[in-house]
Amino acid sequence: MTPPTIFLVDDEASVRTAIGRLLRAEGFEVTPFASPTEFLAAHDPAAPGCLLLDMAMPVLNGLDIQQALIERGSRLPIIFLTGRADVPMCAQAMKRGAADFLTKPVNDTDLLAAIRRALVQDYRTRQARAALDDIRSRIASLTPREREVLQHIVTGQLNKQIAADLGTVEKTIKVHRGRVMTKMQVTSVAALVHLVEQLGAGGSVVVQ
Amino acid sequence: MTLIIDHFGMSWVTVVWSMVAGACLTLAATYGLVWWWRRSAHGYALFALASLATAGVAACEWRMMHAETPAAYGLALRWMHLPGWVLVLALVGFVRVYLRAGRPWLAWAVCGMRTLSLIVNFVVTPNLNYRVITGLRQLPLLGEAVSTPVGVPSPWMIIGQASLLLMVLFVVDATRAVWRRGQHRQASLIGFSIVFFVSISTAQMILALWGVIHAPLTPSLFYLGIVAAMACELSLDVRRSADLMHELRAREQQYRTLFDRANDGIMLMTEDAVLISVNDAFARMHGYSTQEMLAMSLRDLDASESFRQVPERLRHILAGEALTFEVEHHHKDGHIFPLEVSASRIDSGGKSLIQSFHRDVSARRHADQELQQRRAELTHLSRAVMLGELSGSLAHELNQPLTAILSNAQAAQRFLARPQIDRQELQDILSDIVAADRHAGEVIRSLRLLLKKGEVLRQPLDVNAVVLEVLKLMRSDLLNHHVAIETQLAHDLPRVCGDHVQLLQVLLNLVMNASDAMAGHAPDQRRVHLTTERGPNQGVRVAVRDHGHGIPADSLERVFEPFFTTKPHGLGLGLVVCRSILLAHDGTLAAENHPEGGAVFHFSLP
Repeated sequence: MTPPTIFLVDDEASVRTAIGRLLRAEGFEVTPFASPTEFLAAHDPAAPGCLLLDMAMPVLNGLDIQQALIERGSRLPIIFLTGRADVPMCAQAMKRGAADFLTKPVNDTDLLAAIRRALVQDYRTRQARAALDDIRSRIASLTPREREVLQHIVTGQLNKQIAADLGTVEKTIKVHRGRVMTKMQVTSVAALVHLVEQLGAGGSVVVQ
Repeated sequence: MTLIIDHFGMSWVTVVWSMVAGACLTLAATYGLVWWWRRSAHGYALFALASLATAGVAACEWRMMHAETPAAYGLALRWMHLPGWVLVLALVGFVRVYLRAGRPWLAWAVCGMRTLSLIVNFVVTPNLNYRVITGLRQLPLLGEAVSTPVGVPSPWMIIGQASLLLMVLFVVDATRAVWRRGQHRQASLIGFSIVFFVSISTAQMILALWGVIHAPLTPSLFYLGIVAAMACELSLDVRRSADLMHELRAREQQYRTLFDRANDGIMLMTEDAVLISVNDAFARMHGYSTQEMLAMSLRDLDASESFRQVPERLRHILAGEALTFEVEHHHKDGHIFPLEVSASRIDSGGKSLIQSFHRDVSARRHADQELQQRRAELTHLSRAVMLGELSGSLAHELNQPLTAILSNAQAAQRFLARPQIDRQELQDILSDIVAADRHAGEVIRSLRLLLKKGEVLRQPLDVNAVVLEVLKLMRSDLLNHHVAIETQLAHDLPRVCGDHVQLLQVLLNLVMNASDAMAGHAPDQRRVHLTTERGPNQGVRVAVRDHGHGIPADSLERVFEPFFTTKPHGLGLGLVVCRSILLAHDGTLAAENHPEGGAVFHFSLP
């Protein structure tokens, strides 16, 4: 797994250099950008890390970038840096899911704490996403018949009932159930139900 | 009376002729003296001569009337021509000089002919009038017998008589001219009397000398008439000068009153600045009495500052210039007060004096100072308002370097805590800190300048540097408003003399207005052009152009009126203050619309 990167966007070169130095001194990987457009052009949603963004910039301001990232489906945590604490702006940013909102000049402990929090958040998000992807790939390995059986299992039906519903014999269902349990890498029905529930929406995902 | 005369052995003829001579001599002496005092008045000299000549004629006549032999008569008649010649010349001269009339060639002809007759008179014997006098005849006159000649008349006397007739002609012509000029009194009094009496006496002489009638010659009696008329005219002069004198006194009294009662201080001083005369107002404004001031010199009054310029000013005034200037004088109680002075030279009795009018301008100066202070306060207020509008951007402008400094310093602390110290990295950090600190310092210095209520300080300025300073201060504000700045700065600009802060204020104001004017436009259309170029007469011209909607034509001048504003929260004072700043710099500030849209504000500085 690649180490997390801090994407630093500020139009003021001196600020970029200074914050970059501080973060590197703390051992972080830093990639600076002079403008939001530059950052958006180079951004890879798969790269872990966080975005440290100056609010007051020409052309695209911080809120615009936040919007652009949300539209691209990127969940990169954003820490806003601002020259002046503007309450409505702060509220709007936080509502859209900003990780933090810091006022310049920013103290190292505050900045580092915010970055660490953001990185943990990013890590967790990515972890959660990876787990779901795993479940989805296991479901994807099931045959359509096995998926039908799975759906009946998670609603709590017995083999006999499932066989009646699907118009087959109990023995066949038993074989299917065994395969489903193996492919889904679970040993109990409870564990299976838990897995499917993580996908949300009452397991409706399974059918698709 | 007869008894008395008989008693003294005198005759009436003697009495009358001596009285004529005496009267004429008195007049001659009187006017001779008048002429002596006023040499330029030639009329008086000529009159004195005419009177003297008449006395001479009278004396000769008396001799002739009392002659006992034909030779004595002839001699007296011959000598009578001498005063007669003087009289003719004096009368002609009087008409020319006093009446300023008569044809010159006629005058010369009269004088020439008369002189010729005088010469002939002394060449031929016994005289001009007779070839020979054979005897004397006694005729009664005033109760006694007087001698008249019997003899052969000489044709030479035609010259003399012709000269007299010519003179009549000359005077008639002159009189006509004087009458036409409107000087009727002079024409009738002098012209008429000369014509009348000369004609009569000439007629008498022609008739008597040619033997047509037998009568004694008495021209002096007729000439006395002329002299009397002339004396009468001249006495009017005396009366006139008496009137003038009277009028002069009255006038002087009026001026004295004006002088004394005037609200302005008036004084008269010598070239050496010693006071000769001062009025009440002048004394009062200095706290002295007029008497106390008379012994004083300007040196005692002038405060040292203005006194240094006194010699220079005196030189100008004595050269004839009228000067108006301000000075400061010491009051008797020690305080110093300002005066406005108008001084000029007056010439009096051949000496040059300096007269000056003084007005105490303490109140005016106080009001001026107050006005100036109000103006400075307004200028400062307008600056403060402007900075208030910019405060957010300015805070950002300060935050950036502060952020850089803080983060750099904290990074450095970490680098220093490592076992291996990267000196190069630390060097870079420190020089970045210095640069950021400098930047912040510049912003703060500009801010402090703008917020300070400082004195107006004129110094040579580089306008381009001021423009760049404004752009530095406004950088964040312009970024926030998405306004792009395009500059076109001439690099060969002459320096101008001005107050740094005030010019900064004007430019800030114009750029802020330009930025506000485009608030409703799409971000890519918000552009401001800033141009500096050489102006006329070694001056500088600066133009700030926006791409907004421009200014309605009827408001182009109104934008400089107080409280005229198009902004929702504007005071309407910014441009008023800007224009007053430029006026104080002898510059101009004007607004116009650009042909391709947007408004242009441009100002010139000499």
